[in-house]
Amino acid sequence: MMRRRTDARSLPGMTTTVTHRLATTVTHRFVTTVTPGLTGGLTHHSTATVTHRLVATVTPGLTGGLAILIALFTLFIPLNASAQNDWWNDDPSYVTPIEESAVIADRSLSEIGQQKSRLDSAALKLTVSQSMADILTYNSSIFVKQYGRGSLATVSFRGTAASHTQVTWNGMKINSPMLGMTDFSLIPSYFTDRATLLHGSSSLAATGGGLGGAVLLETAPDALQGVNIDAVLGAGSFSTWDGFLKVNYGGRRLKTSTRVAATLSRNDFTYRNYNKKEYTYDAAGIPNGSYYPIETNRCGSIRDLHLMQDIYYTTDGGDRLSINAWWMNSVRGVPLLSVDYRNGLGYINQQSENTLRLVTGWNHSTERLILSAKAGWLHTRQGYDFARDKGNGVMAAMITSRSLINTIHGQAEGKWLAAEHLLLTAQLSLYQHFVKSTDRNALSLGTGTGTSAAPGKTAIGYDEGRFETSAYISAKWNATSRLGISAAVREELYGESLSPIIPVINIDYLITNNLTAKASASRNFRYPTLNDLYFLPGGNPDLLPESGYGYDAGLNYDSARDGRYAINASATWFDSYIDNWIVWIPTFKGYWTPRNVKQVHAYGIETRAEGKLQMGRDWQLSGNGCFAWTPSINHGDPADWADEAIGKQLVYIPQFSASSRVALAYRNWRLSYKWCWYSERYTTSDNDIATRIGRVLPYIMNDIVLEKRFALRDAGLSLKLAVNNLFNEEYESVLNHPMPGRNFEFFIEITPHFNK
Amino acid sequence: MKYGPREEESFSIDLSRPGLFVLCEGNYMYGNASLSYYDPVSKKAENEVFARSNAFPLGDVAQSAVMHDGLLWVVVNNSGVIFALDPATFREVRRITGFTSPRYIHFLGPHKAYVTQIWDPRIYIVDPTACTITGYIETGMDFETGSTEMMVQIGKYVYINCWSYQNRILMIDTDTDAITKELVVGIQPSALVKDCNDKLWTITDGGYEGSPYGHERATLARIDADNFVIEKTFTFEFGQSPRALTISSDGRWLYWINDGVYTMPVEAKNPPSEPIIASGGTIYYSLTISPENGDIYVGDAIDYTQNGVVMRYSADGDLLDTFSVGINPGNFCWREAL
Repeated sequence: MMRRRTDARSLPGMTTTVTHRLATTVTHRFVTTVTPGLTGGLTHHSTATVTHRLVATVTPGLTGGLAILIALFTLFIPLNASAQNDWWNDDPSYVTPIEESAVIADRSLSEIGQQKSRLDSAALKLTVSQSMADILTYNSSIFVKQYGRGSLATVSFRGTAASHTQVTWNGMKINSPMLGMTDFSLIPSYFTDRATLLHGSSSLAATGGGLGGAVLLETAPDALQGVNIDAVLGAGSFSTWDGFLKVNYGGRRLKTSTRVAATLSRNDFTYRNYNKKEYTYDAAGIPNGSYYPIETNRCGSIRDLHLMQDIYYTTDGGDRLSINAWWMNSVRGVPLLSVDYRNGLGYINQQSENTLRLVTGWNHSTERLILSAKAGWLHTRQGYDFARDKGNGVMAAMITSRSLINTIHGQAEGKWLAAEHLLLTAQLSLYQHFVKSTDRNALSLGTGTGTSAAPGKTAIGYDEGRFETSAYISAKWNATSRLGISAAVREELYGESLSPIIPVINIDYLITNNLTAKASASRNFRYPTLNDLYFLPGGNPDLLPESGYGYDAGLNYDSARDGRYAINASATWFDSYIDNWIVWIPTFKGYWTPRNVKQVHAYGIETRAEGKLQMGRDWQLSGNGCFAWTPSINHGDPADWADEAIGKQLVYIPQFSASSRVALAYRNWRLSYKWCWYSERYTTSDNDIATRIGRVLPYIMNDIVLEKRFALRDAGLSLKLAVNNLFNEEYESVLNHPMPGRNFEFFIEITPHFNK
Repeated sequence: MKYGPREEESFSIDLSRPGLFVLCEGNYMYGNASLSYYDPVSKKAENEVFARSNAFPLGDVAQSAVMHDGLLWVVVNNSGVIFALDPATFREVRRITGFTSPRYIHFLGPHKAYVTQIWDPRIYIVDPTACTITGYIETGMDFETGSTEMMVQIGKYVYINCWSYQNRILMIDTDTDAITKELVVGIQPSALVKDCNDKLWTITDGGYEGSPYGHERATLARIDADNFVIEKTFTFEFGQSPRALTISSDGRWLYWINDGVYTMPVEAKNPPSEPIIASGGTIYYSLTISPENGDIYVGDAIDYTQNGVVMRYSADGDLLDTFSVGINPGNFCWREAL
């Protein structure tokens, strides 16, 4: 039914799309993608909104070179990803075609045995104002730790720490070399076209150091031709204003995308503070009652501006050049704790960041070979300011911390289809970090030391660099039409420290046409961050790298019928051991220092399902759900005889988590429901639940979004109302960090039609 | 347990028996500081008594506590608040706010007390009855490294050690609320006590490796308060971190932690070579001496992120009792029997 409607439309460029959809329906019964993000040879022929990928076949029914040729350069249409733009201008329906080809048997050569999940465009674009932290909360099984609305948000896989999640943007690692982690609250979903999660050892295909996994964020050229503009304005609770603008140009060879995202919010929500009490008094001044006060989130304002420019140029010879540049300026308050009695108005407590991420790329595709190279630069200036009003309106600086990070990146990669069923890959990545971290006002030693010190002050900090290299080779072989085997080796150099060989084995097996079994095993290492090694005071240059090994095995089920339904479900068991886990602990001198302490056994189960169901011509139900069981157990040596932490769950890692997003579409209406649940997270290493003050209790969060699209003569128009924390739940996600109750955001989105 | 209003518990402590308050710092930015109470006679400990009695938590980083005028005064550093509690019920009866980062409170009278600060060079003068800030003592330091800590009074003078990125003891005239003298000691004096001879003792931690402020051997120094000069200095081995300098209630014995627990009489010519309580792999975090019988109480923070324990030893170093307390037991306060 859905294809019939597609065919009935005679938009320019659609013929190609339909042709390839049909073609893929035939061939993709067993043929799917190999190389995400690389442009295949057919790019210049197509104008459809599709993702072009080099693919290799395992099709039993097709033989020899013909099959390879057909399969190599066919098109892959991810679930949900493509059709919306096609349907948007003439028929603004949220009911999008269900295509069997999009979901069946995801068994590519390059992804043999990989535990991978992709976030579809519906998830990424549902609420444009949301950061990737919010998106991941509702669409994945990984744990998102949010310190508050608009505050630091980190993610972790499979019971590991935030620094065990490696994050790449267009192929370049963007984890802070100082801290090791990435703040996902500073990554707008509007700037992300593709998000892929590599769980556990699967992350080694992209980068080392992902003891938990990796998040790959990418931008991608829009397949639409001509100039296309998308503008979104949002207004929300707590004096929140959002503006988003995207100007895309698509020519035959040249494609560009220019994006702006701006957010301004006082973030001054009120909440019932159960961590303080106020008293009432009788006429004689004797207390006669008490109550929990309503307080305002203090020092929490947000001012973010992001600019992005993507340029892609494709030649007839199979070369593609690209430039991706993303500049961010963010000034955010660091909200005071709910147990803080200081008056927020008299304080500055804020962090600021200026970051430029620049990646230039080239890739060249032939029938059997894809070569690519990248060069990147990452420049970050970060500041943290803590100051107070001395009482006379003059702010006295207490902490003036400044960091400057420069990273130069280079990467070369080759993928060679050496034989019909054999793909060889080699990758070399280089990073040179330069980090200067100082508290520039720290000491009044009179003369000032170093350029980073304020006049008359001596800065405390470090100025260090580190060269990092990671080399990776792999051989991926479809041994039979059902069995795929991949063997890979990664080797890393951090400064002068060479990692041991990091082997990875992945296997998958097609049990039935719908059911695939996957398994993998690997070692992995994560090197200490520059703060771990050099931070003053406390840096520990004698730290060892964290080392781990792990296994996983799982089943993946796909089923679809054109125009009826599509479902994808997976369940994975994993088991991993991490030694020399780095933990910062206090010293007797009042500062903290990192030590290699814990041995951790992290194991459990991740499950995920997503699907779409056509319910009549105009109704469609879609959604996803995730559930994870992630024990992460400390098996280190006891600190002393009284240590009760051995055998206990690590702090702030939930044992259970679940989330789902369900959308019901009726023509140009859509109602989406988002839900997440976390089990209790322990705040003490002995998992104390008798405490009255240290529990972060389980909570359930519910959000809904109602949208309606309009087809105007010259523009598409969309109105959207989002209600967050629908049931006004009072909760904490991190101990004593205030969280907002029910709040609203309203968006208007305009997409002018220039091409008519 | 649900997130929301907390249950309020009633306590009624027998004040005719002495008691020990254990102040547990909690973890910085966790807001999980707590107050434990130990009855040395029954050997029973109650934990989180502030939160249980008042139905809200104590706050972020409990720094110090002192008994004064029949009330327990608790300084909660990163919450910027001082609570006064009824020691029998643990109920809050007074609250002083408006501080930057309070560390210790020292009482001079019913309407006057000093409050030291970190990140703020001013010593605050407060009225503990009206619960108001009435003035400041300027110290000449700046906000970045302003650090005033423990206070000891001899006559009309209050002496204060300046710890973080400092190396000084201040002498303040309580009549004028002004600094009259400063004495340079070793790097980062972390504690200050007075002995039975009205001599001051301070212990310095020597800073840390790589500090632009310097890194030197830690010291234990005796100061003549009248002339305000260092009379005697004992120097520790480089890299050692002695801390928690404590004195017996009669002012005759000094105690400190340097892996193990050491003690020496205030008249000693040489420092002790052996600890009275060996470390035994245990991380000693805090120390107090019973004014009743000289028992030694040692706080153990274990891994700093779980409930600590306190070990009670006899004056001779024999283990008598252990009890569980809150996270990072960092300070003690004795309440005498009424």
